[in-house]
Formats: sequence, structure tokens, C-alpha cells
Amino acid sequence: MVGNPVQVARVYNNRGVDELVFIDIFATTQKRKINLKLVADVIKECYMPIAIGGGIETIADINDLLKIGADKVIIKTKALVDSDFIKEAVAFYGSQCISIAVDAYKTSEGYKIFNHLDIDKSLDDYVQEMIDCKVGEFVLVSVDKDGMMNGFDIELINYVENITNIPIIASGGGGNIEHYNELFSKTNVLAVGSASIFHFTQYTPLDIKNELKKINIPVRI
Amino acid sequence: MVSIIDYGMGNVASVQKALNFLNVKSVITNDHSVIKDSSVILLPGVGSFAQGMENLNERNLVNLLTEEVMIKQKPFLGICLGMQLIMENGHEPYECKGLGWIEGEVQKFELLDLNIPHMGWNNIKVFNKKYFNNLDNSNFYFIHSYHVKTTNYQDVAATVNYGIDVVASVQKGNIFATQFHPEKSQAAGLLLLKTFFDLNA
Repeated sequence: MVGNPVQVARVYNNRGVDELVFIDIFATTQKRKINLKLVADVIKECYMPIAIGGGIETIADINDLLKIGADKVIIKTKALVDSDFIKEAVAFYGSQCISIAVDAYKTSEGYKIFNHLDIDKSLDDYVQEMIDCKVGEFVLVSVDKDGMMNGFDIELINYVENITNIPIIASGGGGNIEHYNELFSKTNVLAVGSASIFHFTQYTPLDIKNELKKINIPVRI
Repeated sequence: MVSIIDYGMGNVASVQKALNFLNVKSVITNDHSVIKDSSVILLPGVGSFAQGMENLNERNLVNLLTEEVMIKQKPFLGICLGMQLIMENGHEPYECKGLGWIEGEVQKFELLDLNIPHMGWNNIKVFNKKYFNNLDNSNFYFIHSYHVKTTNYQDVAATVNYGIDVVASVQKGNIFATQFHPEKSQAAGLLLLKTFFDLNA
């Protein structure tokens, strides 16, 4: 998110965004927790589903976020190092509450999971472990495409779609309407996440939804 | 005063925020005397059925809520897990008795082609207009892996199609409940809550 998150959240709520995903991407590497006060202020602006991630390591962390109004939590690092914790979280809060961030990048040995711990984990192994934990959702980010605004990583998205039937939010690469057309015509994904296009272009979420509706992609207007 | 039941199953803040927006007075509580003094009972909830029942039991809320809703006939609103828990039986993650106020049970989605959990915005089909006036075919936000199956079709207020038609809302006497999250469903959700509290609070 660029700028003041609370103001941005207010705008998104007014524009009828279908869901807000808010991730503090530095929480784990900076060895701190997400700023609950800021998250609470963001959630106050929203009458839509909200997924929050960053630095989640305990059941108490999840409870802190749900208590202030999050619907789902997004976990990555803890999922990489401790899949038993993910099982425990799913047993406690249900599959629908536990989303897993899948930050994938391509290597000569296939897709791997990007992380700051130098853990060498293939996309396949990671996704399969998380399926076995019965998680509810994957937030799939193409590290190669994220922020580039030059199109979605169709190959990666189809790759993951083929190995799971857990819902996927595809993200990373949307820069113009054509990219969204391509995403929904060339993959079976049902949800897309975007940020840069709303920060750095004139497009609003509604513009994109209107265009998708024209090509008969079911969207909520 | 509306009692939003706090039993450690998440989501209470969003519900109260929506009620504040509608100027409906509420309190998040598991205090027995506060619940007894309130005029409306709201049971929210995110999580597994068995955990939900365990948490209600730990707080000695099962008999109290049953008395307030079934005997004193206070208006009741259940949301998501709060709708599932009022059924007779659940299966998440193992078979477990529910509050049993509505006949029927909660089953896991068994769909071959569709993603589970069912997560996202869907149009509902309204069968009972009491609270859904002007909301037929509106979009609401769903997030669930288990769905309610009522024994009596008259108890179904709305359905949603997700591979099969499943119960989106139940209504029977003073009991009203939704599988979807009205507090997360923007304008349509707020309108539904407004209608419910206009008629009951």
C-alpha cells in the first residue's frame, strides 16, 4: 500500500472493492508484530472482507487480528518452518480463516518459494504441505511479475491451479485492462488481487470489474 | 440493547461496527446477567463447529442462550458459525451436538469441481421476505466449508447456489440467521441488518 493505509482503505470501501488484503511484508524480517492499532484503524473503514498478514506466529496473534475484525489471516514464514502450527490454526479457526501466501519465483529447477530465511522449498512441496494442513486459500504472488504491471504470470497461475482445488487469489502483474482479460480467459482462477494498478494508474477497481463483466466474467458490480 | 455473544470465536468487532453504523446499541459480552437483560441476542462466529460448542459450554452459555431464545423468545440473529451452531448436529472436525433450536444438521461441502471453502460474493435466492425485502438476488459475502441442511424447508429464508443450492439463511419465529456475513457485505448487508433491527430492537 502506498500512502496512508486508512485513507486508502476508505476509498476502496467506497469503490465497492470485494476484499481488502493488508500485509505487513516487513513484520517477520524486522522481528516484530504487525501494528494492531493501524490494522484496527484500517478495518474500521471497511464493510467488506479483510485478510491480514505479517508476522503471525501464534494462535494468540491470529486471535488478536480476528478480535479487531479480520476475517482471514495470511501466513507465510511460519508456514514454511512449522506446518504443524498451520494444522493447529486450521483446527482452531477453520480452513476458511487460514490463507497462505505463496510467493513463487521461477528457477532452473522449477518454481521455488521466495523467503528471507534461505529455505530452499519448491512450490510443489509447499503447496502440497499446505493442502495437507487443509488451509482455506492461497494468495499466490508471482515474485517475478509483482509490481511490474506488465501482465499476470499465466504459466505460474495455471501451474498452481492444476495442483490444487483450494481457492487462489492470483496477484502480481496487473497493469491494464487487457491483463485482466487475459488472466480470466487463460486461467480458471476466480479471484485477482491488485495494488499497483490502483496506486499508479487512473484505473479503479470498478473500471476493471466493468470490463470483465463485458466479457461475461461473473463480477459483483 | 443487543448482546453480541463473546465466546472467543472471532469476528465480534466487525459485527459491532456495523451495528454502531446503524445506531443500534450493543454490547460484546458473555456475562450472564447482561445477556438476560438484553432485548436481542446476536451470535456471531468464525471457526469450527466443535470448538464453537466447546467455547459456549466453557462459558456455561448453552442453557442460558437456549432459555433466552427458545423460552423467552427473544429475537435472535446468528451469523456464519452462529447459524450453524443453532442446528442439531455438526461434523467439523468431528460429529458434535449443536444448540438444536432448528431441526437439521451441518455438513461438509462434497463438491468435485468447485473450490472449497466456498469463499466469495454470491447472489442469493430469497424464499422468506421478512428481512430480505428488496434484497432478492443481492450479493452477499460467503466464507464457509460446511453448510446447513434443515429438516424442514419452511425454515429456509434464502439459498445460494454453489454447485448445489445450499441454505444461505434460516428464519423461524424469533430466530433469524445467515450463513453469509451481512457485516461484510457492504450496502446489501447493512440494509439486511437495518431491517432486522428496525423490526426487533
